[in-house]
Amino acid sequence: MIGILGGFASSGPVVYITSKDIFTIHGVTITNSIFYGWICGVILLVTLITIAKRMTVKPKGGLTQFVEVGVGFISNLVESSFEDRERGTKYVPYFVTLFFFLLFNNWLGLVPGVGEAIKIHGNPLLRPFTGDLNATLAVGIITMGLVYVASIKEAGAKDYIKHFFIGNPLNPMYLFLGLIEMFTDMTRVISLSIRLFLNVTIGEIVIAVFAYLGSFLAPVTSAPFTIIELFVGALQAYIFVILSVMYLAISVNHATAEHSDDLTDELVTERIRLQSEKA
Amino acid sequence: MILIADAVNTAIIGKGLMIGGGFIGPGIGIGIIGGNYMAAVGRNPEASKFLGQALVFIAIIELFALLAFASIFIVK
Repeated sequence: MIGILGGFASSGPVVYITSKDIFTIHGVTITNSIFYGWICGVILLVTLITIAKRMTVKPKGGLTQFVEVGVGFISNLVESSFEDRERGTKYVPYFVTLFFFLLFNNWLGLVPGVGEAIKIHGNPLLRPFTGDLNATLAVGIITMGLVYVASIKEAGAKDYIKHFFIGNPLNPMYLFLGLIEMFTDMTRVISLSIRLFLNVTIGEIVIAVFAYLGSFLAPVTSAPFTIIELFVGALQAYIFVILSVMYLAISVNHATAEHSDDLTDELVTERIRLQSEKA
Repeated sequence: MILIADAVNTAIIGKGLMIGGGFIGPGIGIGIIGGNYMAAVGRNPEASKFLGQALVFIAIIELFALLAFASIFIVK
């Protein structure tokens, strides 16, 4: 009896943490996550452009409604984060596209063919695009680049550097706090990209482990975790977008605010004097 | 330590300790956020519009738990 059950034993679940190379084009190696990223990008373009052409004033059901809800949600989020609503309107297309890009890439990574089912040269052919640290780092660098460039353009370079310091930078205390603020800004790229990469990769590992545990009932045992990963994928796409919008809104709002909003030593005594004169 | 590492697989012990210790903090943190959210909703049912914000905080805390999990693949 035990010998029969021994036939199901293998060496353990097969998990892939890094992406493998599939083919080369003129000496540039293409990995399986880049390849699947192209496929998902084409699917995203085709879907969103056909839905945009079918937009009518009267509401229709189906995928159109889903995209409308997503666009309205993110657009409201972006515009309500800025103090001055018109300033935020020009950033809406980028963040809506980013949200749908990350959402489609996370969800299309759960389709049954992706992973070790289809193999070429012994490596899996398809792998979710956001499951590769290079990919999420690229998305993070582009997004934070947009945040820096936009805040410098909105407020001017001098005001942007000044918004880190809450007082006179020659005071060593305010200088130290300002440098810590700048350092926190730079760790945001890493935290955004690593959060997305780890959530997607660890989801893949959990699904692989549970598919291995139910050896011939693998679709049944991995179904609950696939549903959890649908929720986690949507949540992580939303969190990436909401955190980037928050970083952009905080820099722009603070850098373009009037300078009397920060209370330092001279201004506190000034305000107390003014208030005592009024009373 | 080198003598111990010859007889005992210290890499496995290291990974186990990192995973075990690393999941305590985020578990407690998410529990506190969840508890405060439920207390606020119980007191004032209109506070359920803050569910999106609570999930954002949970994802920020979850990052540290995932970093502990990722250390399996870093320690050899």
